[in-house]
Amino acid sequence: MISSRAVALSVTLLSLLAATPRQALALPTMVRLGYSECSACHYSPQGGGPLNLYGRGIDQAQSYRGGEYIPATSNLARILTIGGRTTQELRTVIQEQASVVTGGSVQTRLWPRLAYRNATEIGRGLRVAATITAEGATAIRPTLSYAPLSRAPSVFVNTALLHYRPTKTLEFAAGRDQLPSGVNVPDLGLWTKSRNRLGYYDAPSQLKMFWTGRHVHVAPFAYMPGSNEDSDDGEKGAGTVAEVVVGQDHAVLGMTVVNATAALGDRQMMGGHARLGFGSWGIVAEHDFTKRTQVSAARASFSQSTSYGQLFWAPDDFLVISGIAERLHVEQPFEERLVAGKLEIAARLASQATLGISARIERDQIRRRYSASLMLQAALKTVP
Amino acid sequence: MRHRALQTALAFVTLVSTRAVAQDIRSEPVEIREGTARFDASTNLPAIRIHGKSEGLEGRARIRKNPDGLVIERLEATLPVRTLKTGMELRDEHMRKYVFTTPDGRLRDVRFVAERATCPGAVGAHTCKVSGNLFIRDVPRPFTIVLKVSDDGISLRAAGEGIVRLSTYDIAPPSQLGVKTKDDVKLQMDFVVDRVQEQIARETR
Repeated sequence: MISSRAVALSVTLLSLLAATPRQALALPTMVRLGYSECSACHYSPQGGGPLNLYGRGIDQAQSYRGGEYIPATSNLARILTIGGRTTQELRTVIQEQASVVTGGSVQTRLWPRLAYRNATEIGRGLRVAATITAEGATAIRPTLSYAPLSRAPSVFVNTALLHYRPTKTLEFAAGRDQLPSGVNVPDLGLWTKSRNRLGYYDAPSQLKMFWTGRHVHVAPFAYMPGSNEDSDDGEKGAGTVAEVVVGQDHAVLGMTVVNATAALGDRQMMGGHARLGFGSWGIVAEHDFTKRTQVSAARASFSQSTSYGQLFWAPDDFLVISGIAERLHVEQPFEERLVAGKLEIAARLASQATLGISARIERDQIRRRYSASLMLQAALKTVP
Repeated sequence: MRHRALQTALAFVTLVSTRAVAQDIRSEPVEIREGTARFDASTNLPAIRIHGKSEGLEGRARIRKNPDGLVIERLEATLPVRTLKTGMELRDEHMRKYVFTTPDGRLRDVRFVAERATCPGAVGAHTCKVSGNLFIRDVPRPFTIVLKVSDDGISLRAAGEGIVRLSTYDIAPPSQLGVKTKDDVKLQMDFVVDRVQEQIARETR
């Protein structure tokens, strides 16, 4: 008798062979199980970075392999974890993408990345965290005259933070990292991310706080340029992400505000987001509105809005299928009107291996042009 | 004289028993359907709460209405443990193993038994404090649930919550990878109560 899980796995693997890819690991979907905040499974309350002990257990339980996570207790493990104080891992993400634009030829791109991630407890509520990524290729990103993107080095320090947690519900962090954001999906190529300075190479210096109440999360932050921006584009500013949790931890509604200045132009951003879980399915959504002023030499002002919506379904613990819609509107003089739809399947085979596949179609409403892409992603990591 | 006294006594006994029978006739059997039970357990970590849900709550009781409100009698509700899900298979296994399995390895359903509860309130809406015994692992412990009952004339809908203290059942709060549930677990129930005759009529329609 073939189990439904085996059938689901077979369908996934056949899909992977028949087509190609996507950016998986949509972990805000964990709200379906009542995990309304990232710190349930990650050391960092912002999410990302190494998983804590409980998170590693959930990671394994949510995989096709399943079963209990048992931490290594060998002498080597004790040395590598400095007696349990340090969690470190190597993670590689390999993306193969094939894309085509109306009237153009098929372009392919292989993007391998290798990251080292570390979280070390120092004691007395202090912790340091770092993520360093070696890039096998540069991420494809649009060049915008009003927002030139940060340089993409071959080795990039995504995170270098000192955390201080005086109480269970309060944490401060200082250093270099991504800014706190709305739904916090890991695909940093999304317009809600890449057009709001939350892309792959945006890691400004910052000071932030996380306060986690029973029904309220608040994360105010202030930031200044990191070290990899162009000199004109070094932005400084402040903002807050605030969320309320309702529906027995299965619904999170939040908003983000940012006010920033840079030589190339100022921006004020306001956004709303939601993470809703209903058992095996749910919805993740975000809409942001950005007003840019004093932009470039023309001192122009214009507005930008980005939207993201994801409807997901988890037919099994290890498998998440999503339908995703995106929208980008930028006003003149830099007018852009883009919409996109994506179908994505993410399968966590084991806590060490996740496969993702996605198909995306995008329409440029001004140039009346379509582009389509298929992407296959494999994420492999060591598990302490 | 003795004959008259005997007649009077018999008449009195007959009257009393007739009243009792009449009262019993007025109390009608009902069945619980569309029953949902939810639990909410907080843990030592503020970011983690464990929730579970079952749509398998079922039971029976007798109800009658009097001028003061609603009276519930002989309530017996059962929650099949296998229908209780947290959304994650491994977590369900842990819950069954650490909470609902008896020391001799048997999985026992949760039962709630209450003899009588009065529900004062206006027509169509009542509040009942139902006290009885909640059986976990077949161990009975006193349990009280406050139910809000609404009556649309055809069926009754009831919803309420109570607190289950695991330690009273000698159940150690489950612990996994540094996360430990607290001793008090909130139990919520929501169900529709159908009069048995109406249910039979509906099923034979």
